[in-house]
Amino acid sequence: MARVEYDDVTKQFLGQQDRAAVDHLTLDVADGELLVLLGPSGCGKTTALRMLAGLEYPDSGDIRIDRRSVVGLEPKDRDVALVFQSYALYPHMSAKDNIGYPLKVKRMTEAERDRRVTRVAEMLSLGTLLDRRPARLSGGEQQRVALARAIVREPRVFLMDEPLSNLDAKLRTHTRTELKALQRQLATTTIFVTHDQAEAMTLADRIAVLDRGRLLQLGTPDELYNRPVSLFVAQFIGSPPMNILAAQVRNGTLVAEGVWRLPLGRRVDATEVSLGIRPEAIALSEPSADAQAAEVLVSEPLGSETIVNVKLGNALVKVRAAPHVRPDAGATVHLRADPARMTLFDAKTGAALP
Amino acid sequence: MTTRAQTAGRQAAARRREGTWIEAVLAHLVFAAVIVFFLAPFVWLLTAAFDADAQAYIRWPSQLTLDNFVRVFTEHDFGRALANSALVAGLTMLLDVVAVSLAGYSLSRMDLRFKSAITYGVLLLQTMPLSATMVPIYGLARAVGLRNSYLGLILIHAAIELPFLIWLMKGFFDSVPRYLEEAAWLDGRSKLRALVEVVLPVARNGIGVVAGLSFLAAWAEVLMVIILVDRQDMFTVPLAFYQVLRTRGGYTEVQYGMVAAMGVLYLVPVMVIFFATRRMMVRGLLSSARGL
Repeated sequence: MARVEYDDVTKQFLGQQDRAAVDHLTLDVADGELLVLLGPSGCGKTTALRMLAGLEYPDSGDIRIDRRSVVGLEPKDRDVALVFQSYALYPHMSAKDNIGYPLKVKRMTEAERDRRVTRVAEMLSLGTLLDRRPARLSGGEQQRVALARAIVREPRVFLMDEPLSNLDAKLRTHTRTELKALQRQLATTTIFVTHDQAEAMTLADRIAVLDRGRLLQLGTPDELYNRPVSLFVAQFIGSPPMNILAAQVRNGTLVAEGVWRLPLGRRVDATEVSLGIRPEAIALSEPSADAQAAEVLVSEPLGSETIVNVKLGNALVKVRAAPHVRPDAGATVHLRADPARMTLFDAKTGAALP
Repeated sequence: MTTRAQTAGRQAAARRREGTWIEAVLAHLVFAAVIVFFLAPFVWLLTAAFDADAQAYIRWPSQLTLDNFVRVFTEHDFGRALANSALVAGLTMLLDVVAVSLAGYSLSRMDLRFKSAITYGVLLLQTMPLSATMVPIYGLARAVGLRNSYLGLILIHAAIELPFLIWLMKGFFDSVPRYLEEAAWLDGRSKLRALVEVVLPVARNGIGVVAGLSFLAAWAEVLMVIILVDRQDMFTVPLAFYQVLRTRGGYTEVQYGMVAAMGVLYLVPVMVIFFATRRMMVRGLLSSARGL
């Protein structure tokens, strides 16, 4: 059982007087949940994580694990494990001693230590590597040793600070899957920091999107993808990202980029808006009265799908199409949008309109 | 076909090669001169120490002998002086390693107020000439009863090298990534144990350099020993050299053979330490320079 709460936490670094690294963060992580802190670099996600670990101290606010404040506690007394981006393996110890170190600290007998290290090593297929020093392990192996060192302790909370970012693309995807399965199996509350939206989407039970120290949106991957609260979230999540088009509301219809007329199924008070529409919410169709003609700039075949880039007014619109659809550059296609999957944002503030 | 420009170019290149050849010879001659200059005293030490009738200049021993080495132990209590030096230098080294580890780590890691003032203040201490502190140190040692005491010698020797070694060690600690100790804290270790179990082993080259330099400095130190020690049984090796001056018929006579033998014995531990730790020293000094 470990529930984590950030209660109005603010942290400002010396020499950064203009803004806080973490700005009034309030966040509740349920027991056993895998929560991803997602945001661009400098958004405060790592600082938030380090405050929970006890490596940074909040200026104000409270952080609680299982309803008890941990703010005054030393890192060693918090019973949380952190997997560092750089793995932070002890270079002078073998993989086995690295994994066993937290158990040694707990004064566990050597026999018990061996038993647990062996079990975790098996879980992560580290069996044959246990006698090696970190310098003789590959990046992926080091990463698994770091993970094993965190798991072996059976801590209340796992903290992971971009643990996959130093792996190559193939290994990263593979490890991501394993990590998710492992977390399900262990059912330990996990907070995972990343700047990679795909990683966040695949791993998370819920994602907290941060920017400039502020929590912008907290929700399931689906909620974030389909109902982003702001332009920032909309553009940060999804690959290729959501198309954002300048649009005007005129007599109950929407005119995007001055040319594309779209039905507006609801009342909108604003006149100048930004229209957000996912590449898969646009379909290429036969010419008809309600389809917008547009010129193809380039088609990007990806094997499983084709991303068709079309020119609409001054904007570039990405359309997700079936793999065999490959219109040539310069060809004219006809776009049809799904009104139920359009999101409108205030053109000035970027906030999603209801 | 060869153009005139190409020919001229080749000739210029040849001249340049010739130039480098002459430069190389000159450079080697200069190096050789420097080496001869610095090596001469050691050559004298080695030849005179085994010479039955050693003189103040370099010559092949008139008669090879080990007599000089025997006499420094029988006619003078050189064994005692060696033991005193080893004890003082050894404990100085221990004290320095402990003090420097703590101080260097603090300066490297802690967010202290006035940290840069403190750090540069430490360096300022190093620039003070030791001789300027002679009188107060004598007075202080007398007042607190640290004259003719091993403790007095160890404390003062440790203190002399401390500022420089703290700077050096700060550099070593700066090159140890912070996340290593953070990992140890999260694994349940206190800050002090994390320093001892994780940071120090990773910075062991630095510790090696600090220990070596501290030992060698204390081993070689003369001035403070002259001030603080006048009891013969407390003499360290440098003071023992004075014992081989003897007076005969109103003239002071130097027994060169024994001086040289003592010199050789004095140098042996230094050489042993240097060759045992030279790899560590080089690696350590390089990484320290990177950390600064």
